[in-house]
Amino acid sequence: MSPLRVGALALMSLAMAGCAGLGDEHTAELDAARASFQAVKEDPQVLRSAPKDVIRAGESLGRAERLAGYWGSADDVAHYAYLSQRYSEIAREHAKLALDQERAARLELERQRLQLALREAKLVSVQEQNAWLEAQIVNLATAQTDRGLVMTLGDVLFDAGEARLKASANRTVLKLVQFLQLNGRRTVRIEGYSDSSGKREENLALSRARAQTVADALIDLGIDAKRIEVQGLGESFPVAENASAKGRAQNRRVEILFSDEQGRLGATR
Amino acid sequence: MIYRYTGAALALLLLQGCASDPAPTEQMRLTEQVVEQARTVAAGDTVAELSQAEEKLAEAQAAMAAGAYRTARVQAEQAELDARLAEARVLTLRSQAQLTELNRRIGRLRDQLGAMP
Repeated sequence: MSPLRVGALALMSLAMAGCAGLGDEHTAELDAARASFQAVKEDPQVLRSAPKDVIRAGESLGRAERLAGYWGSADDVAHYAYLSQRYSEIAREHAKLALDQERAARLELERQRLQLALREAKLVSVQEQNAWLEAQIVNLATAQTDRGLVMTLGDVLFDAGEARLKASANRTVLKLVQFLQLNGRRTVRIEGYSDSSGKREENLALSRARAQTVADALIDLGIDAKRIEVQGLGESFPVAENASAKGRAQNRRVEILFSDEQGRLGATR
Repeated sequence: MIYRYTGAALALLLLQGCASDPAPTEQMRLTEQVVEQARTVAAGDTVAELSQAEEKLAEAQAAMAAGAYRTARVQAEQAELDARLAEARVLTLRSQAQLTELNRRIGRLRDQLGAMP
């Protein structure tokens, strides 16, 4: 074997060793870039929101892979692998941002909806309060100025002969509670009345039981029992004649007498 | 003799290769612009990628001044993407903060609505 040949062989083996060494060095960076690219490429969300960055990640990776086949290109391979990796990361961030923005838009709508609902609820309660109070004052100002402010709960709130409140009365009772909560110094007298059919004592007992039911409902909803007086008046003080069914129905009622702002109630009947 | 010529030719080629690396003026301009934009968006927030971008841009500028165009190009290209990633990260972080705030507000509104009579 000539010295030249030996030298060439040695060189070749050196070069091969070098290449192998270089190859190993590349793999870590290339593998990382490959894995990142694979992940973004298969993520439909990323593809949808950052297609250009995904394409660039692929191009840079391709360049790194081609260069990895050449001797002496270690730096370039690392460089393009780095760029590819960065493009993948950028694509991922953009996708995250797009997703966040979609969610934010949905949440913003939800927030506006809730805010509107809250505003309406507050408005409605204030309006109802005012309208109700006004209606009561208008209703009563003419007929019962001598007794103060009176609210009449009609027969429809009770079944015949029953002292239990119907479910339909809940709204009225709630309004009453709201009014008493807003007007903390006012007190009420709850008066029960009946028609004249049946025994006088039974009518008295039923009228008192109905008034007590209303009082209990108020107390259950947080009104201090000390602010409530209860009285049963039976068939006294009819508001209509007892001859007709319509008149009797009008006479079966609970009246709620409100005190003035200082808590002073009119005299009992 | 042939070996010697080839060797010389190879060496020449290599040298030429190095020398023929053009000055990456366009890339430098682009990178400077992108880094500046990321800095504006970050508005004082610390992002690791932005510091990397700034360091690499400085290296690229030094390499440009020294005529090491290849190094300048590599550093500038990496700095560009570091800066782009920094900007994207800042924006996602902000959007997440925005989501948290929105959820907090919605929770508060729900509480108030639940307390309505």
